[in-house]
Amino acid sequence: MNDQIFWIVLKRLRIPFLVIIVTFAISILGLTLIDGVDDQGHVYHMTFFDAFYFVSYMASTIGFGEAPYTFTYSQRIWVSGIIYLTVIGWFYAIGSIVALIQDEALRKAVQRNRFNKQVRSLTEPFYIMLGYNSVIKNIINRIHANDYRFVVLDKDKAKIDALMLENFYPHVPAIDGDVTNQQMLKLAGIHRKNCVGIISLFRDDTKNTQIATVCKLLNKKIDIIVKGSSPQHLEHFKSMNLKHIQDPFNTISKRIYYSITAPHIWLLEMWAYGHSLNLRKRDLFPKGKYIICGYGRMGQALEIGLKKANIEYVTYKIDSKTYQKEKGTTLFGDEEDTQKLLDLGISDAACIIAATKDDLLNLTILNKAKKLNPEIFTVARENAIEELTMFQAAKINKIYVLEKILADTTYTLLSKPLLDAFVHEVRKRDEAWGEIIVNMLNNIIGGTPDYFEIAVNKEETYALALELEKGKKITLANLRRSRENREELLPIVFLLLKRKGEIFLIPDSQMNIELDDQLLIVADNENREDFEYIINNIYELDYILEIERPKLFGLF
Amino acid sequence: MNMHKIVSGFFFILAMTINFGFFYGNPEVLIDHSAYELFAAIVVNLIATVLKLGDKTQLGAVLLATSLVADIQLIASATVWTIAYYVYHDMGPEATTAIVSLSGGALLANIVSVILFISDTVKSKR
Repeated sequence: MNDQIFWIVLKRLRIPFLVIIVTFAISILGLTLIDGVDDQGHVYHMTFFDAFYFVSYMASTIGFGEAPYTFTYSQRIWVSGIIYLTVIGWFYAIGSIVALIQDEALRKAVQRNRFNKQVRSLTEPFYIMLGYNSVIKNIINRIHANDYRFVVLDKDKAKIDALMLENFYPHVPAIDGDVTNQQMLKLAGIHRKNCVGIISLFRDDTKNTQIATVCKLLNKKIDIIVKGSSPQHLEHFKSMNLKHIQDPFNTISKRIYYSITAPHIWLLEMWAYGHSLNLRKRDLFPKGKYIICGYGRMGQALEIGLKKANIEYVTYKIDSKTYQKEKGTTLFGDEEDTQKLLDLGISDAACIIAATKDDLLNLTILNKAKKLNPEIFTVARENAIEELTMFQAAKINKIYVLEKILADTTYTLLSKPLLDAFVHEVRKRDEAWGEIIVNMLNNIIGGTPDYFEIAVNKEETYALALELEKGKKITLANLRRSRENREELLPIVFLLLKRKGEIFLIPDSQMNIELDDQLLIVADNENREDFEYIINNIYELDYILEIERPKLFGLF
Repeated sequence: MNMHKIVSGFFFILAMTINFGFFYGNPEVLIDHSAYELFAAIVVNLIATVLKLGDKTQLGAVLLATSLVADIQLIASATVWTIAYYVYHDMGPEATTAIVSLSGGALLANIVSVILFISDTVKSKR
């Protein structure tokens, strides 16, 4: 924190230093230029050193010589009085100005004014982020200025200062203020035309609900992306018709469910979030008896997932707060605890999930469990990203970092909407379908394929859009030819096509492309470049579509 | 458009060009090197340094370091001048060369900071 203060102080010192340098420079320069007369009546010019010396002692009022002639004693008595008088006057004036600048109310007003100006000068679509923390920082770093701009509102002044020091470029307008206050939301631009939505990922569900309600009242059109994890609040959000509810516990529960029942569906989802497209044994959850430690929001969500997957489980209702109160520590594993784990059947359990709110407690539960049953599959909930290394060192089979899941899902939602749609569609399919798709992707692309999204329009697919405007029918299969030899197929896969809100998963290759279609495509880097070349260059497109252009004078 | 970028870019480049103006000329002939130009170079360099204060980024730190190097060399150059003039009363070729070559060193530091500044600008997305 001290480091932070140091940088802030340095930044604040910029203007005073600039003022001193400029005033000194002007004073010194003036003195060297002005004619002077020496004691013999000759004209002389001060050198830079003379001027620097004089200004140094004058500016700091250490003392100065007497002009135009040496003073008498009575003059000196008078002058000693008025020096103090004028100095007091000066200090008073300067002091009042400084006090005014430091005045909290004025500072706030100036800051609001500046913030408002910055928000109004945004021309690109932007999101309003409520609260600033590592999740939000992660999202801003990945999306800012590429797809959307951001405006940040946080109650805590220190967090806003931390954001300012990040030096995001282009600038992220930010201000400290109450996030549930309508006035502040208006100031942050909730009514502006280019405001796409609002993001509220607070840990506290009640706060998120409050924000969502206020925002819905203020502007019906904007997207509200909100985190919710307890059943009552989720219900409330659904009744408000919010489409984008981020629930990390639900995500974890679903992932576990798919990992047990449909590993290939699970694999496709994980691949969308950056996992490799290979099913490894150690990634998969075992079948057998499960022990869930902790029965909070996560425990309840897991229960639903496991029930659906037809897995036998027991829950251990351990609460981090009461545990700490009773034992005075969050280190799990005394006699009583060991007995409890044995009672729950740790020796024949296949998997143990530590899902309490306290990271240290989770870690120690799993350590104890491993000692009692070395074969057991261990799963940990980790609340804050900072402690990642500690968890990795503990050799836990699966770590769910809430912050990371939240950041990843929100990032995909904002920046890769087709991928988000893909994940939702995939979850509706069955395991056999998933296996076919995974094998197909692996066979066609090989290795772990990359995905990218394009929209069919003049900006992104110039040549293709031109042909479509002329009314030519082009199917997806037509586009899959190689530009080196049109008889050969380009190893790319059209994964998803979105047309006017309708979604086609693995679209049929005989489907015609239309303007404004959005495509999610899978390919490796080299083929991606080839493909982008084809759809943007009319000559390449002519070649693969076998279009003959009329030759100019029969020559070209 | 970013006002801070314009202002700091302006001072970085101005520091380099003025410094070059002072440095350019026969190093043994003091009449080729104006004291006013050295003064201007020092002032502009100090301003460029102050503009980088409090920039927490990696690039900001390196730019601050190069500016500090330029400041030190230019102030050393002015100090050599003052000492040679007032203390030894000797503005011979040795002193003159020292003054000019110190500013030459500062010029190098200026060039480095301008290159860093430009490469950062080119690299940024918009």
